[in-house]
Amino acid sequence: MESVVAQAGLVLLRDSVEWEGRSLLKALIKKSALCGERVHILGCEVSEDEFREGFDASVNSRLIYHDVFRDPLNWSQSGEALPGGPLGALQAMCRRTDPGPVTIALDSLSWLLLHLPCPALCQALCALSQQHSCPGGGSPAEPVRVLCLLHEELHGPGPLGALSSLAQAEVILSGTMGQASAHILSRRPQQHPTRQTQWFSILPDLSLDLQGGPPLESQPHPEPHTPPVDPTAHMTFNLHLSESERAAKDSLTLPFQFSSEKQQALLRPGPRQATGRIFYEPDAYDDLDQEDPDDDLDV
Amino acid sequence: MAAAADCGTGAGSTGSIGAAACKNNVTSFQRKGPRASGTDSGCSRLVSIAGTRPSVRNGQLLVSTGLPALDQLLGGGLAVGTVLLIEEDKYNTYSSLLFKFFLAEGIINGHTLLVASAKEDPADILQELPAPLLDDNCKKDFDEDVCNHKTPDSNIKMKIAWRYQLLPKMESGPVSSSRFGHYYDASKRMPQELIEESKWHGFFFPEKLSSTLTTEPRSLTGGYRKLLQFIQNVIYEEGFDGSNPQKKQKNILRIGIQNLGSPLWGDDICCTENCDNSHSLTKFLYVLRGLLRTSLSACIITMPTHLIQNKAVISRVTNLSDTVVGLESFTGSGRETNPLYKDYHGLIHIRQIPRLNNLIYDVSDVKDLAFKLKRKLFTIECITKLTSYGTQGQKYLLPGHLQRKFAINKNRYFRTLHNLNKTY
Repeated sequence: MESVVAQAGLVLLRDSVEWEGRSLLKALIKKSALCGERVHILGCEVSEDEFREGFDASVNSRLIYHDVFRDPLNWSQSGEALPGGPLGALQAMCRRTDPGPVTIALDSLSWLLLHLPCPALCQALCALSQQHSCPGGGSPAEPVRVLCLLHEELHGPGPLGALSSLAQAEVILSGTMGQASAHILSRRPQQHPTRQTQWFSILPDLSLDLQGGPPLESQPHPEPHTPPVDPTAHMTFNLHLSESERAAKDSLTLPFQFSSEKQQALLRPGPRQATGRIFYEPDAYDDLDQEDPDDDLDV
Repeated sequence: MAAAADCGTGAGSTGSIGAAACKNNVTSFQRKGPRASGTDSGCSRLVSIAGTRPSVRNGQLLVSTGLPALDQLLGGGLAVGTVLLIEEDKYNTYSSLLFKFFLAEGIINGHTLLVASAKEDPADILQELPAPLLDDNCKKDFDEDVCNHKTPDSNIKMKIAWRYQLLPKMESGPVSSSRFGHYYDASKRMPQELIEESKWHGFFFPEKLSSTLTTEPRSLTGGYRKLLQFIQNVIYEEGFDGSNPQKKQKNILRIGIQNLGSPLWGDDICCTENCDNSHSLTKFLYVLRGLLRTSLSACIITMPTHLIQNKAVISRVTNLSDTVVGLESFTGSGRETNPLYKDYHGLIHIRQIPRLNNLIYDVSDVKDLAFKLKRKLFTIECITKLTSYGTQGQKYLLPGHLQRKFAINKNRYFRTLHNLNKTY
């Protein structure tokens, strides 16, 4: 799971009401912060204090928080609000000039989708996640990872499909019996998409505990084994030959096959050169008069 | 296209056709003898353009799509002045491959390229083009692939009528000296020097956006309008529409537009069902087709139609394009485990073929086409096994049977089969 999520690009965390994803987002943020990356957070849904709770001091000091929750429409006219609204904040993150790997966390993308037009948001996300070179130029590409939390029940298939097509990795949270699982679909640019399922749990100090499989007591009864689909079943005709049929088929001489007997028959002139004979029985209405073919026309 | 029909087909005198063709530039008549240089002093001599050939059916000038199997299904190739629309598969793996084959074919033939994309930089796209297969290498690989396919019950020898024993066997592999249509190795990159020699124009939409992103939705035709202006400028300046009398040889412009209709172009037909500006994409296609018809160019467009929410838009887009090919890959769908499809990677649906200067469609009889990407080659084959879909409800249908039933109304049939495939 770490290798998949650690790759650069857009990572979508799709959660639902039963399986919430903010704790997983926080766990991933904590992991990147402990790796020494700089983490930018755009907080839209919960307040900054609520978001920062659970992180210890070392992690908290590395988080750069952009708060949109407190004053999204900039009514208080204080200088703290971000210029240009949330879209301007995203744009500002695009234009960063510091070197080093960066993780950007959007909490949450659903809020942004509801407040911004979808195409503009997609363009901003694409610009964010595909920063191959700094605007100043010169330095090599630094990986930018964008972690987005998306509540999939809030949106229709249109925006979900559009965002999935942009994402390099998509993590769908689900689970059984109290155990959370993540279905990870990763799309590397030149390779086939791969899927894997990872069972995990988040410990109270926001570290990620990966587990091998579902807990034993919650394993559902194995489904009755469905036999693989056999396309040759239930057909109205026979695909296979029995032995006698096969022997008969092999011994059949085809009409245009030039076997040796036919060759001999053609080479040797036959005893009677009987070419085909025509037997003709004239009918009552047949006209046998060869001279005037139009005799029966009564003209 | 009408002007091309007048001078492209038919058996008029070569002299008058030659003079008319200089203005319209869409003919493949070649004139032999020294009389040619005397009559048309203003225009260049009529030589055939590299990488094109006339269609055997209606004399239309064709270019290769980069995939000889697809050329055959489309009736010889893609006609110059038309649009090939590829409906993308779900994860955009194979449609981007077809896109790259088209561009690579342009580089090999020396055509000018115009690459437009909103997601990737065109320079990066060109770096990832597949390498062409050289003749002796590909023959060797093809032979070893054929050997791998020998099954145990291949001892049933086909008895052929004696008259035909002397005829040569049909070659179904890469033909060694084909100047029209080349084979590409998807695992290798095109050599850098070929790319640098080629002439190409790139349109990367995020660069052309204004520097500040505003929150109000920009006019949805903004991105499309810029692209159309760019294409028009290139056509006019390079003389593909005959406007500047070309001293050098005539050439074809291959236009490739990637992911048209996705939200990255600023269009929201993939996001909502009732979008405000639902006609911008259809207007774009209409104007594009007008530009193409009056110039020596061919266009490939890949579109994520599986994301478009409003089905009426898809049918309008299909009507506004000339050739429409849909790809459906098996990755991630239930069909991956179906033993019927175990050799293939996906299905190919030829949804529409244009009627250019014709009264009838040039459709092949085979409807069940599947593709597979072997290590190097991309092949399209007819599914020859019995096509019965065994699902839990034990429902089965035979598309061949349906083909006979619906043979008259072919367009509706394509959609029916697509829907049936989707259901199962």
